[in-house]
Amino acid sequence: MNTNKDSSSKRIKKINNDTKLIFTVVLVFLSGIQGLISFSSSSSSSSYLGGQVFALQEHINDNEKDKNNNTLSLSNLIKQGSPHLGDLSAPITIIDFSDFQCYLCARYVKETEPIIYETYIQRGKVNLVFKHLPNRGSDSMGAAIAAQCTNDQGKFWEYHRILYTNQKPIDSGWVSKDNLKKFASKITGLNMSNFNSCLDSEKYKSLVEKDIAFGSSSFGFQDTPSFIIVNNDGSKPEILRGAHPFPSFKALIDKKIVQK
Amino acid sequence: MVLNMMRIILPLLSIRIVFSNSAYIILAGSIAIGFWILFSVFDQLLFFLPVLVFYLPRDAITGFILSNITAVIMGIVISMNVYMLKHSKLKISKSLFSGSTIGILSSTCASCSSLGFLLISTFGGLGIVALNFLSIYQILLRLVSIVILIWALYSMHKKITKSCCILNGLDSIRNNTDRKDTGKHMM
Repeated sequence: MNTNKDSSSKRIKKINNDTKLIFTVVLVFLSGIQGLISFSSSSSSSSYLGGQVFALQEHINDNEKDKNNNTLSLSNLIKQGSPHLGDLSAPITIIDFSDFQCYLCARYVKETEPIIYETYIQRGKVNLVFKHLPNRGSDSMGAAIAAQCTNDQGKFWEYHRILYTNQKPIDSGWVSKDNLKKFASKITGLNMSNFNSCLDSEKYKSLVEKDIAFGSSSFGFQDTPSFIIVNNDGSKPEILRGAHPFPSFKALIDKKIVQK
Repeated sequence: MVLNMMRIILPLLSIRIVFSNSAYIILAGSIAIGFWILFSVFDQLLFFLPVLVFYLPRDAITGFILSNITAVIMGIVISMNVYMLKHSKLKISKSLFSGSTIGILSSTCASCSSLGFLLISTFGGLGIVALNFLSIYQILLRLVSIVILIWALYSMHKKITKSCCILNGLDSIRNNTDRKDTGKHMM
């Protein structure tokens, strides 16, 4: 009898020990994950994991602000030569910092942008502004300049879509000068001689470099795609980092529309 | 034929031994879920802010399937590792460097392929180079990590079943000795 009792109490003790050990391991593991997530949250000024969204007014240097207008106001962005899409009187602006060689940017363009276009841009609620952040490879700069050249003739968004649709691995030669010209020739109504001279002379290199400086020094953007969602007058900017799906944009845009 | 193949691929006996204790099932499940969350966040499929949202874009389907497989195998291998640590007489330092742990580390590293933003924000320009490499070879790295994990699973299976055999062997020796002793006493 006693031996049976002893063995059953030993077994219960063993099970308790097992459970304790396993729960400890689970706790350690979960806290590890939490730690990793919070580490990545703190590693950049804002994180794409947890704290993607934050007000960044304080990040804008005073000397970069236009004396009369906010740097992020739509009129200012257009003045800088940035391509834009939508109704100029739309209350909200999305500023998209992207690289044509970045696969997550392509994901955003294919999956999320069309829904934003249908839901907000077409209905005159949102404007989309494109800023270049070509940092993924040595060929990225050429692609950015070529795209900016098409903007001269009002064909930026067509070229933008063509590049993302034909995206290949980074620096694999898919955005070589010849290929950039081939892609441009697919756009109906684009004056090719103007485009070629613009691309060959690297007319917009300084504009692209200004965009890079604007994105990286003013907002600390090194990763693409990154977005600033801001009121038309440049007030109350909020950041989204990463290829967010539509619900993330919807949450921020709707909040801003309600606030207005 | 198929059953024989399955016998080779699936280390059923060791899985049965380890997961007869439901605590290990909970452990494996939690680890698999944990890694699933981690992989999905790094792959930019799962977002917590501004709203909790999961989405599966077309370009991420293959990677998502592979990361699910990795998460499940990781859960099994880690819990088998815990079982081994608890039940084997190997010193911790030795068992930590066993094949399974190397497998886990490699697999975790393979999942770095989706650590893009973390790499860039931590290592700047070098992070971008690393990210480019990892994004190009992401699927390949994941496949390699799955192969390593399966190998780790197999090596764990061998260890667990081997220790079983040894224990069984010891038990039978002990039983024989006991019988002899009893026999002597009887005589």
